[in-house]
Amino acid sequence: MVVSVSLALLMLSATDRPTTFRLAVWKWGAIVLLLYVFIAGWIVPLHPGIIQVNPGTASAGDTVTLEVKGYNTSFLRDTSQLSAWLRLSGDTVLKAGHIRVFDDRQLKARFYIPAAFPFRSEAYPLTLIVVNGADGASVLPNAIFASPAVRHQPEEMSLWTQHKLQGIQVKAGIQYPFRNILAETIRNTYFHVPMWFAMILLFGVSAFYSLHYYRKGDMDLDRKSVAFIKVGLIFGLLGLLTGMIWAKNTWNAYWSWDVKQNMSAIALLIYSALMVMRSSVEDDLQKARLTAGYNMFAFVLLIPLLFIIPRMTDSLHPGSGGNPAMGGEDLDHTMRLVFYPAVVGFILLGLWISQLVYRVDKLKGNTWS
Amino acid sequence: MELNKSFHLYACFTRSMKRKSVIIVALLLVVQQMYAQGATDPDFMRSTGKIYVVAGVCIVILLTLLVYLVLLDRKINKLENRRHND
Repeated sequence: MVVSVSLALLMLSATDRPTTFRLAVWKWGAIVLLLYVFIAGWIVPLHPGIIQVNPGTASAGDTVTLEVKGYNTSFLRDTSQLSAWLRLSGDTVLKAGHIRVFDDRQLKARFYIPAAFPFRSEAYPLTLIVVNGADGASVLPNAIFASPAVRHQPEEMSLWTQHKLQGIQVKAGIQYPFRNILAETIRNTYFHVPMWFAMILLFGVSAFYSLHYYRKGDMDLDRKSVAFIKVGLIFGLLGLLTGMIWAKNTWNAYWSWDVKQNMSAIALLIYSALMVMRSSVEDDLQKARLTAGYNMFAFVLLIPLLFIIPRMTDSLHPGSGGNPAMGGEDLDHTMRLVFYPAVVGFILLGLWISQLVYRVDKLKGNTWS
Repeated sequence: MELNKSFHLYACFTRSMKRKSVIIVALLLVVQQMYAQGATDPDFMRSTGKIYVVAGVCIVILLTLLVYLVLLDRKINKLENRRHND
């Protein structure tokens, strides 16, 4: 903070302009918010979690020893409260008979899987929960799949309800939620998502200026709307690129022809076509009129492309096919403390760059005419 | 003669493209290096809780915005020069 502020002041004092230059308050806001987002987004640790369990299957009526690999865990600290559980559903849980800790990140837990289940199924997915005093509960959903017993033994049913999982301590301090598959990439919520927020807002502002151009016919309004489209396209492109990097490491492919990916690419193509069309018209007045009309329709199209169509079918992306995007464990209260400043900060940055582009275009127009 | 002329054209082309192609080749080398690393260690991006994915995303955002600002700066510079010359 201090370094950036002093650098900015140095930069201001170095300009030899006759009029004193003062950076607008909202631009300072953008700087402060983005600094906060980059710092908080990187230094707040992740909640302890489990990344790997071996083996992945077990059969009922057998004893299984699970090799557990933790992430950010400290198994060695506070071993008195250490316990491991396999949960079938609700209070239907098994407690590990024996646990051997190797280090902070590795332990082995031995479970006996009863030869009877409360309900009938082909396979039973079990959630692994490791509890200790320092970490609270580390959870891995569907850690192992148990196959039904060859010989059903109803008397073992009571083993499922013998122990109760309760009195789990919550880990102290602030941390981001640990989500399997996502792990640390949950932090991308602060960088990838605001790109799209900024793009939509910039395109919206641009459409507003286009509407205004239709009413007033002022060429300056056309210049404004185009500046916002240019920067909106940059943010859209960044949203797509960052999404692809994230997808490669969570969905296993840069591009999986997902509805959300396809529709956002189409939206960007529509706006790129607008820029191409603009450059192909020579008459300035005609250029401005065509742009204004096209731009308003493009913004209207953005709504079904980004908000409606992806929600109508299944999709890998959160916010589609019934997945919540802005709730549940994907965005808890700690994350909101960084996410909303990130959205505001990147939107302000987008407005800032657009304003610069507009000012340059305006200067260019004045010198040429 | 014919050969000479085409050679001259080629020389002009290379001269104008020299700086750009140097940048492009450098970028290609970087990308190739990254792929080569990927070949030996396919899990680099997924190691330590996939933190390098977040790093990659941040670098892409910062680099793109930086390049865009540099291009904008160049545009302003041209305008200033034109104004100075008038």
